Amino acid sequence: MNLFASADTVAEPEGVWGAIAGGAEYFIGIFNQGGEVFFSLMGGILPTLVVLLTAVNALIRLIGPEKIETLGKKAAQPGLIWYPVRYMVLPFLAVFFLTNPMAYTIGRFLPERFKPAFYDSAVSYVHPITGLFPHANPGELFVYLGIAAGITQLGLGLGDLALRFLLVGLVVIFIRGIVTEWITARMLARKEAKA
Amino acid sequence: MDGLNKVLVTIGRGVGGVVGTLYQAGRDTIDTIIRNILPFMAFIAFIIGLVLATGIGDVIANGIKGLAGNIVGLLIVSVVCAIPVLSPLLGPGAVIAQVVGTLLGVEIGRGNIPPQMALPALFAINPQVGCDFIPVGLALGEAEPETVEVGVPAVLFSRLITGPLAVVIAYVASFGMYS
Repeated sequence: MNLFASADTVAEPEGVWGAIAGGAEYFIGIFNQGGEVFFSLMGGILPTLVVLLTAVNALIRLIGPEKIETLGKKAAQPGLIWYPVRYMVLPFLAVFFLTNPMAYTIGRFLPERFKPAFYDSAVSYVHPITGLFPHANPGELFVYLGIAAGITQLGLGLGDLALRFLLVGLVVIFIRGIVTEWITARMLARKEAKA
Repeated sequence: MDGLNKVLVTIGRGVGGVVGTLYQAGRDTIDTIIRNILPFMAFIAFIIGLVLATGIGDVIANGIKGLAGNIVGLLIVSVVCAIPVLSPLLGPGAVIAQVVGTLLGVEIGRGNIPPQMALPALFAINPQVGCDFIPVGLALGEAEPETVEVGVPAVLFSRLITGPLAVVIAYVASFGMYS
């Protein structure tokens, strides 16, 4: 295993050759370190991830993701009550059940003027959700996992961070939806005035 | 006899359906792990190894300590990432956000960045999320070309406001975490 580790009983190489040998050890040391990190990721995160992904995938298949289409149709209505539905509940459910990138297809139930805002809202949730539900965006886990690794290294629990990330994410996508809807409306109005 | 048959068939079909679903879920999972998760893990492991084994880590630490260690620095990061010209370039595959996230994680682990900054940092490095994907995302939602024409700049400009705002919200929400 430790092919490149120096043996203590033999004299260290000296001079130019020694420098080259030292460089070689340094070079392979970088990848040894990387290999250790890879192994700890495989051992630490992967087993839980496999089981969690399987369970959630099965759950989604049993429930049937097409159920949220009904909610999509309802969220299309105007009125203040439907704002939280359109930019909090619907994006959450769409990202949870349909995952990235199929979640954006739910936008087809909304009128044209809401579509950019819904997309903005949904796409902004594909990372906050990965703290607790990694199945929603398995290709981009390391935005959260990268930072979370540091917290783990300090010996602190991840539950607090994951939950706060999830909840703050909901608040952020809600605001994002409203702001983008407003900007879209302004731009559409200006475009009509020009035409 | 006919009734019994019917019951047996129904039960058999139900059980078969559930087992089949579970099996398919497992198959999907392994597929995802091999195709999406492991390749990125390999890439990330290399970067972390490089940072830890060489002196690069200290250089990065000095660079990002000033930016990621306090709320003002994080706001600057979020504004830069949200600039409408830059955000579509930073977006693809969230690669930039993932690499920066990993680097920040290493520095948090080494104690150079306080752990309660993790939450605002998660939003500061990511105001560009999906900015590269707006036309495709809108097309998935069956949007008209006119909507795409307006939607792309609308989302990009919205990020300039909501990006830094998200950092502030996350900063306030991080009070009492890991302290």
